[in-house]
Amino acid sequence: MSILELSNVYKRFGETEVIKDLSFSVPEHSVFGFIGKNGAGKTTTMKMILGFLQTDAGDIRVCSEKVAYGLTKTNRNIGYLPDVPEYYSYMTPKEYLHLCGEITGLKKEEIQTKSKELLNLVGLEGINRRIRGFSRGMKQRLGIAQALLNDPKLLICDEPTSALDPVGRKDILDILSLAKDRTTIVFSTHILSDVERICDRIGILDNGKLMVEGTVNEVKDNYRTDTLRIELAFGAVCEKVTEDLKKLPFVRSTSIEENKIDIGLMNAQEQGLSVMAYLVAEKVPVLRYEILEPSLENVFMEVIR
Amino acid sequence: MRVYIAFTKKEIVEQIRTYKWLIVISVFFLFGMMSPLLAKLMPDIMSGMKVEGIKIEIPEPVVMDAYAQFFKNFTQMGILILLLVFGGTLSNELMKGTLINILAKGLPRPTVILSKFTASVILWTVGLLVAVTTTYGYAFYLFGDASVPNFVFSIFCLWLFGCFLIALILLSSALANGTFGGLILSVITLVVLLLISISPKVAKFNPITLTSKNLDLLKESVNVNDLYLPVAITAVLTIVALYLAILLFRRKKM
Repeated sequence: MSILELSNVYKRFGETEVIKDLSFSVPEHSVFGFIGKNGAGKTTTMKMILGFLQTDAGDIRVCSEKVAYGLTKTNRNIGYLPDVPEYYSYMTPKEYLHLCGEITGLKKEEIQTKSKELLNLVGLEGINRRIRGFSRGMKQRLGIAQALLNDPKLLICDEPTSALDPVGRKDILDILSLAKDRTTIVFSTHILSDVERICDRIGILDNGKLMVEGTVNEVKDNYRTDTLRIELAFGAVCEKVTEDLKKLPFVRSTSIEENKIDIGLMNAQEQGLSVMAYLVAEKVPVLRYEILEPSLENVFMEVIR
Repeated sequence: MRVYIAFTKKEIVEQIRTYKWLIVISVFFLFGMMSPLLAKLMPDIMSGMKVEGIKIEIPEPVVMDAYAQFFKNFTQMGILILLLVFGGTLSNELMKGTLINILAKGLPRPTVILSKFTASVILWTVGLLVAVTTTYGYAFYLFGDASVPNFVFSIFCLWLFGCFLIALILLSSALANGTFGGLILSVITLVVLLLISISPKVAKFNPITLTSKNLDLLKESVNVNDLYLPVAITAVLTIVALYLAILLFRRKKM
């Protein structure tokens, strides 16, 4: 069963069409990575899912219920963590969660139990000072706690790690990994290593269009470009070698860094032999010959190219 | 209803912790104290400002002078304080984005407007009561008798106008963006109401009459009946402003 379904959604801001015929669905108990560079339309899509922005066309359903602009009924099934969550700074974390609990209709005892459990989960237990002095990382943690308070069927996180330092990022990803047992997560980001770490499925958004959708392995297999890295003994010949290699019909891309050349190939095992044959024929001294594992970054670059 | 109570409670806590209660109660208490005191001391103050060759004769102060001072303070400074204290009640939240999490939790948008209106009216009511009881008590102490005709109705008119202003601030915040979103429409409306009040024909319907005839009511130079129409119109306009604020806020991009 799909928790979230978008069908042929369009959104325009003035003359600019920011979302074009966007359709995808997120199955229950999966972690969906919504990938795209800045300005691709990720936040706009999330705000439309929450009913904060009006769609120009198309249909959005959360738990099979249609999302209506300006109405918040479907949000009762959603937990939302904005990229920069803002709070009532005069409240303590406990008071804030209490307010959120009352709004979602939880009973007083439930609020107390759940608040305690979630503050433990995000590492904010025992912090009774006001939110005013919280760091960015602490605010993100509190954001996850408030988002999970009502046991949402769908947790939407809008770039939750983009503004954090490496330690903060790791902490948030660890918390989300724990949270994926209890809910379905839609996670937007442009940090691809984060997606590889916790997501089951991904969708790549580029200029408002969903270019690719599927499981991480499916997408990697379909869009894989193997990279063959050769390290030459002399950097001076790199330019000439690269120009010659570009003439080979199976070479998809090349890049040079010092005396290393990265060559994008469809199948590095087979086509690498032809590259090797060229190097031997031209008597180019090679220090290292290496086939790099395909990464999501390669896929992303390939898709948005 | 539970959600409405929870969010109203949050509003009141916010007012307390951001010192709005302290400011309103202190200033209104000061108004309450100053009005009878200034009325009582005015002859002494004026006699101290003797100019050679000019003889100033000031009649003995009466309790009505205290109320004249009270209504003068409230219809000028009181309204200004209302605008300053409540002007950002919705605009600030929209600017900071603090409502995003709460609306994403399923808080109905009309509840935001109604809770903010309720909490603001509570503070306005308590502040006004503090000022009125202080003035009444101090006037009684200084003048021996503080009772005047139509006192409660006159205060009610002032209170109703304050409620109308709060509804206007919320409508303005839902309509205009930015920190001063809550003040733009409210100030424009106040200026327009003041300008059109010059015409006696319009004054009969004008909500601003509720802040200009208070003393006349006490002096019985204006009939209570004469103010029933502006009272009814102001009450209707308050409800309309709230309804429009809800409609506009429901369509507001977040």
